[in-house]
Amino acid sequence: MVILLYLVVLVLAISALCAIFTKDLLVSVVALGVNSLIVSALFFLMHAPDVAITEAAIGAGLSTAIYVFAIRHTKRQEEK
Amino acid sequence: MKKTEFLTGSFIALTLVVLLGVFFFQALFQPSYEGKVMPIDNVNLKDRVSLHYVLKNVNDASKYLATNGMRYFNNRSSVPSKTITFGKTKNLEEGSANEVTSIVVNYRGFDTLGEVTVLFISIIGLTMLIGGVKEKKLRMPSVIVRTGSKFLFPFILLFGVYIFIHGHLTPGGGFPGGAVIASGFLLLLLGLENFKFNTTVSKVIESLAGVTFVGIGLVGLFMKNSFLANFIPTGTIGFLYSAGMVALIYIVVGIKVGAELSTGVAELKEGNKND
Repeated sequence: MVILLYLVVLVLAISALCAIFTKDLLVSVVALGVNSLIVSALFFLMHAPDVAITEAAIGAGLSTAIYVFAIRHTKRQEEK
Repeated sequence: MKKTEFLTGSFIALTLVVLLGVFFFQALFQPSYEGKVMPIDNVNLKDRVSLHYVLKNVNDASKYLATNGMRYFNNRSSVPSKTITFGKTKNLEEGSANEVTSIVVNYRGFDTLGEVTVLFISIIGLTMLIGGVKEKKLRMPSVIVRTGSKFLFPFILLFGVYIFIHGHLTPGGGFPGGAVIASGFLLLLLGLENFKFNTTVSKVIESLAGVTFVGIGLVGLFMKNSFLANFIPTGTIGFLYSAGMVALIYIVVGIKVGAELSTGVAELKEGNKND
């Protein structure tokens, strides 16, 4: 159980660092969505299934789509 | 942006991530005393305030402790309580089997009204800023996305409705159910090219649901002398027709949140005035 938690947190940290350091904004948004999905898995492992449902629907679904709609109106690459 | 600025920003972000990680791991190994996060496996419920919320005798406990002149924090376990059996015990103070729901809707119902109002105001601001302007069309979605979204939408809608109708029995409730419904509408908006989401109808539904929430609260005020008091008999714990007004309020909140979030996503997809 604890080892599973450590693995999940490790993947969480990797996806968060990927979202920070990448230059492509679309890749960054997708990494953020993966981050939310892993957070919801973490909530489920910590016996909070209702928060997990909310996080999966809002964090991974709706907010990712809203970020993509916003990127559509700007440039996709970050300026050098 | 210059390279040094970018490196500085990255360094600050990395430091924040490392700090948060340290706090997270530190909390897992704290010794178990009040005010700290305990390891998941050995939480003693008798040390917690939530004992009375689990036993559903909050009002009885406060009355008992007040009449006997005891301080609350030292005498939690001395309050008399009865055993609760799932599917058998009747007419409790609060009849929902899901503990989170009983706190969110019944004991702290006014907070939920405030939360719903915050969401309502934010969606009003969104539609005021970017509402009612048509935007250039997206690319035509592929056959897989079109067929898949048509096929999946009824099941997602059904799952969302299930989450908020069973909110007083299983994990979930109005907010998760509404969010799931809104993600179903998002799938339709992305998948079907000619899908028109009627925001006027959704705003009317949302406002009616909000008025119904306040109306249920006012009925409680007139019948039990307290706003959002439970005026319906709570029934047998664990049954679908139980928990009195908790089930009604969660249905109303689910419809309201679903309509609101769908409106927000549909307006955001349409675009901005300045383009």
